[in-house]
Amino acid sequence: MRNRVREQRTQREMSQAELAAALGVSRQTVISIEGGRYLPSLPLAFTIARFFGLTVDKMFDPDEEEAGT
Amino acid sequence: MITFIRPRLRKPLGIALAGTVFAAAWALRGGDAWQLSVAMEVTVLVSAVTTYVRAGGDNDDGALAGSRADERQKLLSLRSRALGWNFAMVAAFIGVTIGVAVKATWWWPFLAIFAVAGFGQLLGWSTYTTAEEDPADDASLQHEARSPAS
Repeated sequence: MRNRVREQRTQREMSQAELAAALGVSRQTVISIEGGRYLPSLPLAFTIARFFGLTVDKMFDPDEEEAGT
Repeated sequence: MITFIRPRLRKPLGIALAGTVFAAAWALRGGDAWQLSVAMEVTVLVSAVTTYVRAGGDNDDGALAGSRADERQKLLSLRSRALGWNFAMVAAFIGVTIGVAVKATWWWPFLAIFAVAGFGQLLGWSTYTTAEEDPADDASLQHEARSPAS
């Protein structure tokens, strides 16, 4: 599943640590989500989508493969 | 009560408490066991301090040791413990099988471990699964629902 977390974060010029603090998760979890190695829970997916002002289906696309996976 | 203790201190204090109780049990045996008890207490305290230091790390291990794990880290911990129990069950099964085959007297602790692990798994299964008798709220629609293939 492809997600737009890295793209949205870099557009806002945020570091992974800043995003992690804003979402209430660890920096390692942000790295794992961005890399497609961890699929967040539904509540966390909503938190991420709302943080970036997008819907969950805009943030996470199940039809697209993660690059490099 | 545990919420009043700083997250970083929770695991180290738990290790220190459990280890001290175990060391005290050795001391209560009397005789020369007090020497082992003292050595054990020193080891426990070193382990508690090591855990406190690990808890300061900015990594998954530090988050778990510092009781501040997020959902992914809790899942990692859960999967690791599940894997550990799987190993324990396999080892216990092998132990009890060999013990029975060689007519050993030490087979029953393996059976006890196997039984406790099995009971825990059944308890978890009964706690976390959805009861089959729960009716589907779309039961009245079942006859109308058809898959595209049918």
